[in-house]
Amino acid sequence: MDITRFKCTAFRCLSDVDISPSPAFNVIYGGNAQGKTSLLEAILFATTSKSHRTTQESDLVGHGGEGFQIHLDVHRQDRTIQLDANMYRGAKRFKVNGIAQSRVSDILGKINTVFFSPEDITLVKGSASQRRKFLDMELSQLHAPYLMALQQYRQVLRQRNELLRRNQADPAMLEIWEEQLAQHGGLLIEHRHEFIEELTPLAVEAYHGIAGAETLTLQYLADIGPSDDFVGVLAKARQTDIRRKVTTRGPHRDDIEFMIDGQPARSKASQGQQKSAALALKLAELEWVKQRVGEYPVLMLDEVLAELDPERSQQLFKAIPHEVQCIITTTQPQLDDLLQDRPVMVFQIEQGKVTAT
Amino acid sequence: MLLNSPSVEQLIEAFRRLPGVGKRSAERMAIHLLSEPEEVAAEFAQAVHVARSRIVHCGVCRNLAESDPCSVCADERRDHSVVCVVEQPTGAMAIEKGGSYNGTYHVLHGVLNPLDGVGPQELHLDSFFERLQRDGVREIIVATNATAEGEATAMYLSRQLAQSEIQVTRIAHGVPMGGGLEFADDVTLSHAMQGRTKID
Ligand SMILES: [Zn+2]
Repeated sequence: MDITRFKCTAFRCLSDVDISPSPAFNVIYGGNAQGKTSLLEAILFATTSKSHRTTQESDLVGHGGEGFQIHLDVHRQDRTIQLDANMYRGAKRFKVNGIAQSRVSDILGKINTVFFSPEDITLVKGSASQRRKFLDMELSQLHAPYLMALQQYRQVLRQRNELLRRNQADPAMLEIWEEQLAQHGGLLIEHRHEFIEELTPLAVEAYHGIAGAETLTLQYLADIGPSDDFVGVLAKARQTDIRRKVTTRGPHRDDIEFMIDGQPARSKASQGQQKSAALALKLAELEWVKQRVGEYPVLMLDEVLAELDPERSQQLFKAIPHEVQCIITTTQPQLDDLLQDRPVMVFQIEQGKVTAT
Repeated sequence: MLLNSPSVEQLIEAFRRLPGVGKRSAERMAIHLLSEPEEVAAEFAQAVHVARSRIVHCGVCRNLAESDPCSVCADERRDHSVVCVVEQPTGAMAIEKGGSYNGTYHVLHGVLNPLDGVGPQELHLDSFFERLQRDGVREIIVATNATAEGEATAMYLSRQLAQSEIQVTRIAHGVPMGGGLEFADDVTLSHAMQGRTKID
């Protein structure tokens, strides 16, 4: 799938953009703070209803304005899709092919994206919450029920934690939230488990492609395992929870462990190995989406070249299949040695204005 | 602010306290009322005032009513051994419109919601349990909304009544996920009442 046209007005510093990207490589280059990342953010927002940078949606509105508009034309194997995402006076509205959509789950998955930013390079060595965010982003895009379960789980968790925080937590009051935690949390665990099972062989292969002989493995560290008695675990943890004033067990404590040649990558691997592992994970994601939906997602690379050494940049570019539409932002327009003979379209961005060069 | 007038601001604030009304809508409503002839505003204020002065909380079911007990609680033909528990009067209104329910109601005026500081005391659940004993109720149908808080409230009622003779059932089918009862259509609600399930 690919984006054939992208338009937006008043999204952050992007005052008025109208571009028609190529189905292959697209390079967006410009200096710092010219709007490169905002352009990718606008695409993410239109396809997921969320920003990767902020939860404060008023931040997305350009200076002094009341709202913004984003429009995407998307080409897929069997159809074309038009997506509109607007914000006006604090209210978000989404349209698919001109028809207003009331649920976030109705816009998710209309177009799949894989997003790779400098923060993702720390996926392997960073905190567990980053890896959970990765799981949630990927699974929400492809399974509407996952997103619904995630939202419900978070709400119930907030309620139970509030009881604990206020010291009003007698076991009977805690219990009434636990069945729902088990119901929604169980679904999250099931999907995460399946996702990592499917992703692992793809990541192993991708890592071999980047790092040669070394072997990457990943393991889902579920705080409550898929076959554990979820409700029983919560019941047993009640006294601990009351003492610590927080819900101590559940998928909000999950993690993924990466091992390189049998050693934990977070503590034992070199920085280069960690970056390669993160890259492998993203490349595996491309293949995973293809397996799931039958075509490659759109790949967005946000300033990753600054973080990767030339050799790894080479490997990354080599590993991106030719059918993938890729939108890459960079401060350096000279990518010839990386791109080899690939067709490429270059856009320059300056103070929120984008021009094809 | 549009007019820089404290009294107008106060009116806008009053509208904002209504459910589902944001700042912009509140401003539109206030300005609309103030732009119309004076009688329109007077009629509006009168209607609010009269309705409020005639409406009481039914001492039995806590529903809004013109009499205490309300017409449902006073109706001998209805089945007083079955009580349908709803969050808001609108829930009871929606089920009444469905037409297939012949029991009585209990209006909680809320649901358990720790984040909003609502616990069993705020919902007056002690007096609800007293009512169940007093009236010899044999079944309650929990028709709270299918939200996290509505489900937890249903669970709480079921747990509290587990040792009693009272059967606790939960409407299940057709109520939109995360949605309010007032948005469900009559057929859906009638279906939901028939498809209620026991909470275990
Ligand atoms: Zn009554």
